[in-house]
Amino acid sequence: MSGFVGGLIWGLAAGTLIAIAALFGVWWERKVAGRIQMRIGPQTTGPAGILQTIADTLKLILKEDITPDQADVRVFRLAPLVVFVPVAMSFSVIPFAAGFAPLDTSVGMLFFLAVPALSVIGILLGGWSSRNTYATIGAIRAAAQMISYELPRALAVLSLVVLAGSIRPLDVMAAWSPWWIIATAPGFIVYFIASIAEVNRGPFDIPEAESELVAGYFADYSGIRWSIFMMAEYGGMVAASLFGAAVFLGGWNWLPGIGGILVFVALTLALVTAMVWVKWTYPRLRADQLMSFAWKIMTPAAIVQLVVVAVIAPWL
Amino acid sequence: MAVKPTPSATDRREQVGAPIATPTQVPISVSVADEFPQGIAGFAAKAMSLVTGLGITARRAIAAPKTLSYPREKYPISPRWRGPLVLRGVLGREGIDLIDAPSVDYNATIDTLHREQSLAPCVGNCPANVDARGQNYLMADGHHIAAYELVRDRNILPGVLGRICHHPCESVCRRLQYDEAVAIRPLHRMAYEAYQSDRPAIESFPLTQQANIAIIGSGPSGLAAAWDLMKLGYSVTAYEKDKTPGGALLTGVPAYRLPREVLASEIANIVEYGLDLRCGIEIGKDVPIDHLIGEYDAVLIAAGLQISRGLPIPGANAKGVRGALEFLSDVNRRQDADVKGKRVMVIGGGNVAVDVARCALRVGASEVRLACLEASNEMPCHPWEIEEGLDEGVIAMCGNGPEMVLEQDGLVVGMRLRECLSVFDASGRFNPVFADLFTDVDCDVVVFAIGQAPDLRDLVAGSDLVLTEQGLLPVDGSVLSTQQPGVFACGEVVTGPGSAIGSIASGHEAAISIHRFLAGQSLLADRVFRPVPTFPKYGQATLDGVESARRRVEMPLSAAGERSRDFRQVELGMTRLESLNESARCLRCQSQVCVGCTFCARTCPDFAITVERIDDPGHRMVTRYDLDLSKCCYCGLCAEQCPTDALVHTGQYELAFRSRELTISDIAEMRRDPGGTRATGCDALRAQERVEP
Amino acid sequence: MDATETTSSQTGVLGGAGVSSESADTAEGLVINVGPSHPSTHGVCRVIVHLDGEIVRKAEPVIGYLHRGIEKMCENRTWLQCVPLTDRLDYVGSMYSNWAYCRAVERLSEIRVPERAEYIRVLVCELQRIASHMMALGASGADTGAATMFIYAFDERERVIELFEELCGARLTYNYVRPGGVSVDLPEGWTDRVLEFARKHRIALAEMDRLFLGNAIARARLKGIGVLDPDVAVAWGASGPVARGSGVNWDLRKHDPYSVYPRFDFDVPLGSRGDCFDRARCRLFEAFESCRIIEQAISQMPEGPVMTAGLPRLLKPAAGDAYDHIESARGSLGVYVVSDGSVRPYRVKFRSPAFCNLALLPLLAEGHTLSDLVVILGSLDPVFGEVDR
Repeated sequence: MSGFVGGLIWGLAAGTLIAIAALFGVWWERKVAGRIQMRIGPQTTGPAGILQTIADTLKLILKEDITPDQADVRVFRLAPLVVFVPVAMSFSVIPFAAGFAPLDTSVGMLFFLAVPALSVIGILLGGWSSRNTYATIGAIRAAAQMISYELPRALAVLSLVVLAGSIRPLDVMAAWSPWWIIATAPGFIVYFIASIAEVNRGPFDIPEAESELVAGYFADYSGIRWSIFMMAEYGGMVAASLFGAAVFLGGWNWLPGIGGILVFVALTLALVTAMVWVKWTYPRLRADQLMSFAWKIMTPAAIVQLVVVAVIAPWL
Repeated sequence: MAVKPTPSATDRREQVGAPIATPTQVPISVSVADEFPQGIAGFAAKAMSLVTGLGITARRAIAAPKTLSYPREKYPISPRWRGPLVLRGVLGREGIDLIDAPSVDYNATIDTLHREQSLAPCVGNCPANVDARGQNYLMADGHHIAAYELVRDRNILPGVLGRICHHPCESVCRRLQYDEAVAIRPLHRMAYEAYQSDRPAIESFPLTQQANIAIIGSGPSGLAAAWDLMKLGYSVTAYEKDKTPGGALLTGVPAYRLPREVLASEIANIVEYGLDLRCGIEIGKDVPIDHLIGEYDAVLIAAGLQISRGLPIPGANAKGVRGALEFLSDVNRRQDADVKGKRVMVIGGGNVAVDVARCALRVGASEVRLACLEASNEMPCHPWEIEEGLDEGVIAMCGNGPEMVLEQDGLVVGMRLRECLSVFDASGRFNPVFADLFTDVDCDVVVFAIGQAPDLRDLVAGSDLVLTEQGLLPVDGSVLSTQQPGVFACGEVVTGPGSAIGSIASGHEAAISIHRFLAGQSLLADRVFRPVPTFPKYGQATLDGVESARRRVEMPLSAAGERSRDFRQVELGMTRLESLNESARCLRCQSQVCVGCTFCARTCPDFAITVERIDDPGHRMVTRYDLDLSKCCYCGLCAEQCPTDALVHTGQYELAFRSRELTISDIAEMRRDPGGTRATGCDALRAQERVEP
Repeated sequence: MDATETTSSQTGVLGGAGVSSESADTAEGLVINVGPSHPSTHGVCRVIVHLDGEIVRKAEPVIGYLHRGIEKMCENRTWLQCVPLTDRLDYVGSMYSNWAYCRAVERLSEIRVPERAEYIRVLVCELQRIASHMMALGASGADTGAATMFIYAFDERERVIELFEELCGARLTYNYVRPGGVSVDLPEGWTDRVLEFARKHRIALAEMDRLFLGNAIARARLKGIGVLDPDVAVAWGASGPVARGSGVNWDLRKHDPYSVYPRFDFDVPLGSRGDCFDRARCRLFEAFESCRIIEQAISQMPEGPVMTAGLPRLLKPAAGDAYDHIESARGSLGVYVVSDGSVRPYRVKFRSPAFCNLALLPLLAEGHTLSDLVVILGSLDPVFGEVDR
């Protein structure tokens, strides 16, 4: 019983955290994208428009929830949750502070890589159940893309596991030393790129390519369901940044105490910013180019990284 | 490499309309190809290109944003912005502003209007800037006397000029673009007639200034200056060498164009206003000019031109060769010029020549010929003058220059003419080219009407004023001062042969100079000179489809056969009803009051405008002006050609009934009473007013 | 089975995209409607796309959604009233339609245009070329997902439009070039602002070239896509950057010089491969050349009137016909006018380059993926106001 209550509390806390992270992520992206495009971004709702996303969320909640006539209604309604829940779950294994992760499991690294990948099922469900060609094409593209990028992402993280000798995130953090940044730099880049592809963001936003597929797999979603998809995307972006900032860049290891947390937050913010920056700079790849990039460059690079790390690990 | 075709290529193309170059002749200029290198270098270049892209976006992100910060900054809107249309004034509800500034400020007023582009073309093109628009406005409502008084301020003799003016106003009348010009000159005359028949009591101008002024000459320029100075409160004395006043108007203008009683009554009115007119006193002979200079605080020489130019050709001294001015003077004074039954040859193509020819017919010449260098279509006289002359029987021999006067025993027996091929050379200078083709014409009298000159030797004798070798008085053309302080000159003495209205304009300028001189001000400082606006020559519209009610009132002329033998007026004038109709034709250019001309409705490509108006004489109003903004395409054609500038674009958003100013909401604005909300457009108009200074 | 019928019977939320299994010729594939309401159709174009997986087997443009009958409307309006209608043809290049129409009318009524007016026309049309090409470049950015490139290009376009707004009070439908000249003279100091713009624009162009056309991803997306053979381009009547991207050296400013163009020194950028990249880069280079022409035009511009004096308010060209064409941003824009001697045209016909260029779409798109289809459509730069008229 207490386990259930604790889980409930943790769940609520995690939900709130993800919501805040997503809200912040959206606002931050709009601000950064605005500046890149010589605009100002949100500016009136709250100081520097910080409350804009809350206003937008309220609006989305109030909007009519449209279900297409020929859609598979139950699947259609379920799909956003299937996308969102795995992303939310992935937050639980992130080592937020020294000795603290919400779910301190011994297979944390594996958990973080495996669970978010489940959201591809939701995407497939959503795209297919919409009974819309665009959505279907988007969903199929998403499935192909996400599965392809799972591999290099996992291989990149694996080099850390080799170095730390554990797949428990807190162990990895404990074993972390600044030399790892140099040793795993290619792996980090592969992780970063694969994470972008994992959350379907530009230049890998092929499943939802606006200029081709209008909105891809969630073309027929509206209101709160649509916003759950968006929340999953931004949540995933923040989760990947948090995890990367922790295990690759050392997170709170740089400074003791609260200073470490601040460094961690700053590193995460930098990674989120980098993701936004990349998205608003590059054009989108084509599906086949994306695949060949994953299999011909990313995966070999990750394997080479793993081999190199395995060789030099004893000296680090 | 780029090709550089010769500039003349355009012209050739315009003529033949054929390509001057085929594709093979134009070499490939620039190739746009650009490839990444192969192999590792290519991979590095690709990676670099990605980094470069990040660098560019980062640099732009650091730079200041280009969008405006809402709501603190505002977007500036172009003054030419074509927003929804608005009508600024409507005939029958709003009046128009009359240009009735005092003479010393008049130029400044005109200048301001000109710069604001709200100067009506007729007013701008008149040398004296007579407010013809105001005249038409007043007369359309039946205020003929007020119109006369308005015109008189700038055009001292409306009754006279209403008959003889060459009306530059009418030649730029915007109405020409649609049908025919408004009959501004005949309306001057009508105003005079109405004034004269119902003349209000005249009180002379009060003398408020100490100084007194002498004016030599009582022609149009002298009278104009006198009027302005009297209005300013000076005591003015005019000296006229003839027994009757009027100057060139009397001696130079034939009575069939200007009845003597009109001139006399107009001058009598001015005398009644306080002008001390002394006739029969010739300055220089009867009274030396030094005496005037001593006795008066300022002297204005407005003596005009006295002598006709002659030609140094063989036989020019024969008996029977005469000058135009002497001839006209004889005709006007005595109604006789000793040409009864004789054949008269007039040399010259100007207005004076035509006057001479027509006068010669009237004093009994058996045959009148007129020879001029120019071809018939380029004669310098006004086309209507020569046309009336031809109707009366004048024989024009255009394109013929005088070669010699044939004489027998010192008497003129004929004239030898030489054919002239062209008068002006390529650069526009006077340089006639003659052919070797001579014509002998029998005649008894030859009148040279080829120009006039002033004769001021007697006038300035014994004073400090010095004439040039050509016998001209050196005058500063802008402020009209002479070498001697306190002595000014105006009129044709300064301008040379010109129009009556031009002389009047120079009289006004002289009055300003004299006023400044007497007030001890600088003649030049802060002085606004009359702007010389140029107005487009409107293309003549065809008259098909223009209903007769909208056309210009036709000026009735006496029958050519009857009139050519006596000095009755040729133009018979218009009735009061006609004057009401005619003045209502005025478009009231730039007055910002819609006159219901319907030109906007006719030019709208979307047929969005409907205009209706009541057209009763003396009671005109626009009864309906519908602007269907839902059809409007904001092309601006209607506002562009609105003659009165009443229809204008506002600075609002298209159909949003909001100005860009109002896109910024504040809480107070959002909470206030809904009466007069933005949806009604009231605010937008108000905002528009705020924007406009 | 007719594909159009199939799709129209399945009208869904987004232009009737539905899974089609009935279509005979694409038994294994999909038939989708791209448009008429779609982010990448550059207006209201509908392309019926037969897909095999992601591969386009057949693309069929359907036009007419923006047909307003402008040619017919012209017959019911006076010669001057037609000018605002021509604004609505190519609404991202109104100056061209204005000018082409006015040239035809001037030819018909034998009006000589004042030299200053010709210079102003060249000046505004080259600015318009920049605006239009920036739109096309930005659109190729948007089509490939580079939203920032789109904004940068539109920022440049906005600068031009602001200049136009200052010049004639409208941002898109200028109604500026008129038979006999231009409607109003340049505002004070305007040419200085144009020169300043031209200076900054070159920098921005170089930046866009590096940001987008130099980018490895963009090149991967654009190079080798929609290759147009020069012979095919000529055979199909393609013109403008579409033809020049394939290396067809055809620019009316050089080959049938009109107005004062022979007095300017400028180059014609030509592509070699005829793919989307060459077309896009042609536009970028042409914007460079336009800057050069603008600077020369301003330095050579004479004083004088901007409208032929003494032009009647109601034009009445003598009965007859006239054709004239100019090089618009999209290619050879021709206008054929017939007069029966009245105050209204008897017939007005526009030869619109966008229409001819759009006809190439099925040819170019076949065998490419769906993602490339929108890129190819964008590289043809159609404006449907002009296509449909």
